[in-house]
Amino acid sequence: MQKYLSTRRVFLQKGLSLLAVAPTIPTFLDQTMMALAAPLDQHRVQKPSGKDGKILVVVQLSGGNDGLSTVVPYGDDAYHRARPAIGLDKKEILKIDNYLGLHPNLAPLKKMYDSGEMSIIQGVGYPNPNRSHFRSMDIWHGGDPQKEVITSGWIGRYFDNACTGSDPHVGVSMGGNLPLAMQGDRVTPLSFDRPENYRYNGRDKENYLKLNQGPTSQPTTKPSKIATPVQKKVEPVTASGQLDFLHRTAMDAQVSSDDILRMTQQHRPAGEYPGGEFGNGLRTIAAMIGGGLSTRVYYVSLGGFDTHAGQRGRHDQLMTQLAQGISAFWADMKQQENDDRVLMMSFSEFGRRVEQNASQGTDHGAAAPMFLFGPKLHAGVLSRHPSLTDLDQGDLKYNTDFRNVYASVLQNWLETPSKPILGQQFKPMSILKA
Amino acid sequence: MARSHPLLQPYKPTADDPFDVIKATHLLNRAGFGGTPQEIDRVQKMGPAAALEMLFDFPEACADEQSRTDVPDLSSIDDYPKDFRELQKLMVGKTEEERKALRQKLMAANREAVNATASWWIKRMAFGPYPLQEKLTLFWHGHFTTSAKDERQASLIWNQNELHRRMAAGNFRSYVKAISRDPAMLDYLNNSQNRKAHPNENYARELMELFTLGIGNYTEPDIKNAARAFTGWAHDGDDFIFRKFDHDNDKKTFMGQYGNFDGDDIIEIILSREACGNYIAGRFYKFFVNDELPPDLQAAMGDILRDSNYEMRPLLRTIFASKAFYQPSVIGSQIKSPIQLVVGTVRLLNLDMPRERAISGALNQMGQVPLYPPNVKGWPGGHAWINTSTLFVRYNTCVWLAGGSGQFAMMNPKGKFRGMANGPDTGFKPSTGDTAEAVVDQWVLRLIGRPIAPDAREVLINSLGGHPEREDNVRKMVQLIVSMPDYQLC
Repeated sequence: MQKYLSTRRVFLQKGLSLLAVAPTIPTFLDQTMMALAAPLDQHRVQKPSGKDGKILVVVQLSGGNDGLSTVVPYGDDAYHRARPAIGLDKKEILKIDNYLGLHPNLAPLKKMYDSGEMSIIQGVGYPNPNRSHFRSMDIWHGGDPQKEVITSGWIGRYFDNACTGSDPHVGVSMGGNLPLAMQGDRVTPLSFDRPENYRYNGRDKENYLKLNQGPTSQPTTKPSKIATPVQKKVEPVTASGQLDFLHRTAMDAQVSSDDILRMTQQHRPAGEYPGGEFGNGLRTIAAMIGGGLSTRVYYVSLGGFDTHAGQRGRHDQLMTQLAQGISAFWADMKQQENDDRVLMMSFSEFGRRVEQNASQGTDHGAAAPMFLFGPKLHAGVLSRHPSLTDLDQGDLKYNTDFRNVYASVLQNWLETPSKPILGQQFKPMSILKA
Repeated sequence: MARSHPLLQPYKPTADDPFDVIKATHLLNRAGFGGTPQEIDRVQKMGPAAALEMLFDFPEACADEQSRTDVPDLSSIDDYPKDFRELQKLMVGKTEEERKALRQKLMAANREAVNATASWWIKRMAFGPYPLQEKLTLFWHGHFTTSAKDERQASLIWNQNELHRRMAAGNFRSYVKAISRDPAMLDYLNNSQNRKAHPNENYARELMELFTLGIGNYTEPDIKNAARAFTGWAHDGDDFIFRKFDHDNDKKTFMGQYGNFDGDDIIEIILSREACGNYIAGRFYKFFVNDELPPDLQAAMGDILRDSNYEMRPLLRTIFASKAFYQPSVIGSQIKSPIQLVVGTVRLLNLDMPRERAISGALNQMGQVPLYPPNVKGWPGGHAWINTSTLFVRYNTCVWLAGGSGQFAMMNPKGKFRGMANGPDTGFKPSTGDTAEAVVDQWVLRLIGRPIAPDAREVLINSLGGHPEREDNVRKMVQLIVSMPDYQLC
């Protein structure tokens, strides 16, 4: 009975009193009731200044970011020889040492680097690099370059393995389509493009809620079933089983929709985010972290890096957007005092050819740098820069497998064994302060 | 001699188990994209056997062979011929260089031509003469998959779509041989790069794993040797070519047989396996009937396919006529694919097909863009269609179609997100009635075609606020029906 009362209380709090009598319980409540004696709302929504759960924010640079124009080996003559038209001027580079520096528009990130909150992992890639955007992106998402048909992602498998139940709140992806990386075999996290669209648009919301609570006159779920945590995704093939599944999903959607809308409306950012999807996405993520959503992994993308022609203007602009977005996000994290709980990781499906092409651009390449951000980092430049002259079909050779980085994030940050997720044991790097 | 199975016996209406409106609706949902009240009424009066005759009465022909006018209209695309037939004509008599240059020029508007093709297809599903042929074409698009991504040429995608249509219920043997020579497929699964010196196993693998046998019915050496047999199968523009200097003429061992096999020999050996008929029969059953398939039922269906020398009509007719198809547990148990949902809603509400960009934006957010399957495995379907985000999009899209307002992701012709925009008014004008009960029952019957829970019916009745004669009240009530979990199923 206690369980029902808890449910009722949550729904009353949310103003959805109608749902209180629903025989169908949203999936996450189903899980949390079993897992916790604590009040339910504290599980789904953490205290705003909660210091417990660690959070990973993944930033995807889509289209193949030119690593050599991001982290620039300006001290290497081979760089200037390969990039006579589109190379960056030595004088403008934000120098890290006498070999390496950052793109001039990354000044806000250089500041983070100088204060020990940013790591650069150089020369990241994988064996037999694939130069198709789609295939290479699938490889980074799936975490297994050998696998032909990839149905789940590395973060999705983290949810499957390390997060109990099938609460969709464990992951939130900004954008209409859920990235493969976040798709689990069991768990399907939340995804939406913007909070104001992540909701029911119909006029009669009250009756819509009644119709989606599950039929009270013909219960599809026996009360005893509620006491059983949902295991592997059940595959009901009858109409009533399917209806039950749809009712549950509808309630998950409704409750998360209300939470997220409220959090974004209450959010007061510390600084200004750049316009566009990327900035909006990061601002919404900051709002959800500030609001205390129980999410472990957030995902956001910045697109437009496929710079085959006229690279300079476009890439310079993207660097500005990247730096402004990330620094606004971290200003928010500091203001919320959530910065210690957050690690941010950026990647792209590949870097670009060392030699510029005939259209003042660059073609698809291979190894490239990844960034990590956060106050807990063992900050600095990790691994060495790949040679600009010893190349594989004109591309940089990787010296760090991306799965070593994933293993570090999984084991050291998310504190979960990486082998069940990545299929084999990759040695973690020491990315965190000792 | 085919093994029999009680569930494969034809369903025969009786006084206790009549061919009622629920069953007629079920048939038109699964063998097409839903029926209007008039169609359902007609089918119900015909009875299941005559209805099947009608549904299967489609020609084994491409759309272009069926009608000169019911084809994708490319005339609004700059610097493009008015349709694919004109494009083909332009290629005739040209040198290889000239054809290459022309293709290059057409690439600028390639995405638009693909979108025009998808948009034509969606319309044909909704309003074309042969719904079952289009439903099967959609099935095959998800089986012998090819995606237009990577800027794959629109004419190749169109030709493959036409192949699916022509072979939809034809002979599976001829179909596999044709798809193995299909330029879009040769391109998509890299068989054009499959050369004796550097075999590419991609096509050989998927041919067995996904197209004919299923995992576990072949070995890795079988893949290697099948790949060798397909070396030199390539395409030049829209035409299949056999590059004999790239072909491996040495002997190969394949599934225990030894010989100088080429691709067709490999296909023959695959088709001689019992697993092949069973696999294809299973794919049909899961798409058209139910996920749950007992092995003995699957084997019995496989026999029908083999006994007819891989003619597919006998098996398909058996399935759609069977007791299995009309089982109560099967009716209303399928989660509609986004295409089924959108096309069906347009049909059931008697609408014109709204502007292409709004439709493709919605389908994109729901996870099923025609001509862009996510990978070689096609769309997984079932529960994979549903997550918290797609469910809102599905509800909101249907509400919009039923005369509500709706915001959609707008894509530019290149497929890039260009912000949100309001969907155009679909002009939905519902019929009203005298009593709330009658109006609700009529619309539930029309849109869901199955009983709903009594309390849900009560909610719908109350939502009319005592004014079932007011058009706006009924419109709002219809928007509620399409926002019910029941409406997601067919």
